[in-house]
Amino acid sequence: MKSKTDEELMELIVQNHRQALEELYDRYVKLIYSFSLKISKGNTDKTKEIVQLVFLRLWTTKSTYNPAKGQFVNWLLTITRNIAIDLIRKEQKHKGTIPFELDEMQQIQDQQLEDVLQQVSRNLVKQQIQEAKRHLSEPQQRLINLLYWEGYSLSEIAELEKKPLGTIKSRLHQTLKKLRNYFSKETGGARHGK
Amino acid sequence: MENKCENLSLYIIDELTAREKEQYERHLRMCAHCQHELESLQETWQSLFYEIEEVDVPETLKAEVMDFIFEKNEPVQREHKVETTKKSLIERFKFIFKKQFSPLSTGVAAVLIIGLAGLYWHNLHLKDTITALENEAVGPVQIVSTYALKGQGLAASANGNAYLLQEGSDISLVIELNNMPGTKDKEVYQVWLLKNGTRQNAGTLKPDQNGNGLITYRLPPAHSFDDIGITLEPNPNNTQPQGVKVMGTF
Repeated sequence: MKSKTDEELMELIVQNHRQALEELYDRYVKLIYSFSLKISKGNTDKTKEIVQLVFLRLWTTKSTYNPAKGQFVNWLLTITRNIAIDLIRKEQKHKGTIPFELDEMQQIQDQQLEDVLQQVSRNLVKQQIQEAKRHLSEPQQRLINLLYWEGYSLSEIAELEKKPLGTIKSRLHQTLKKLRNYFSKETGGARHGK
Repeated sequence: MENKCENLSLYIIDELTAREKEQYERHLRMCAHCQHELESLQETWQSLFYEIEEVDVPETLKAEVMDFIFEKNEPVQREHKVETTKKSLIERFKFIFKKQFSPLSTGVAAVLIIGLAGLYWHNLHLKDTITALENEAVGPVQIVSTYALKGQGLAASANGNAYLLQEGSDISLVIELNNMPGTKDKEVYQVWLLKNGTRQNAGTLKPDQNGNGLITYRLPPAHSFDDIGITLEPNPNNTQPQGVKVMGTF
């Protein structure tokens, strides 16, 4: 199992190989767990629920991954975010209130040796994002946080910001472009227009 | 930049409706600008994920996740078990049966039991048919869709509505018209259902003195149409329109 690619593992999952699912778990749980913990603001029960739902989705809706449409990891992370946002939105509806605290989690963890390389490159990406985000204006930063991490829809954000939806839409476009440009600057322009 | 290009970022964050998404994807195939932008912006959006602190996963989580997934399959296994105990029950029953009855009485009893089972099955079947009939009789009428009709030309002031009603498996079209100009002699208003350029006659009507008219038409099974047109015909019962169109869906 260890030598198989993610795509091969997905094919085995289609044939009901539990071991393949366990291998994918071992490979990606740290990412999924960390993401879920952040998006649920450190709530470990909710984090567990999200992780369970993500792997259940992998096990039950097997055929939806299409290698032609992009990397496996991006597909997996998109699923994770969708599940997490669904859960969060459901709860917001229940409570009727809007939690506004961002980025509360500050936990420094020790790392396993074999993960170090991967982690270094992820940390680089993280630094890049944080660096790029610093160049955004205050409203642009708020937009990304509400949209990406808090799971608000654009029209909800328009309401919160008391701005027309069209303004928020173009703000999003500008923000994504600005982030992209800072990314590409830091990676020597290699990504731009790829 | 063409108007549709604005939807690029909405497409990336997956906030388009299914229909808008389809339209945008069609646009994307033709638009070099969007194609050029899509990949790098999508990558940017996806990389926001990595703004996380990586934390250690509790060791017990794996067992909990796997239990959560594979417990769902357990009822199937349990059913298997129930089946096997069932089987052994039947075998035990057979054994007792053999001990108690001679072959002849077993045969007679078997015939009786089969007969009884047959009657019971027949009875059940009958019951089903009766409930089905009852259900059909009281099946609710549902409006499947509605159309607004607007007059033109001779009947510019006219307006109306059409409803598709479903009752069980029957579909009827009900058309209600107002402010229709009166008709002379044999003149009638004739309703046509249009589908891919072919017209089907759906009946004729004459409005009352106040210009109101109502017509119902039962659609043939599996019949569909795109639009409704109404013409003023010199004679009733035309199979193709001779007169001018005076009303239609818009």
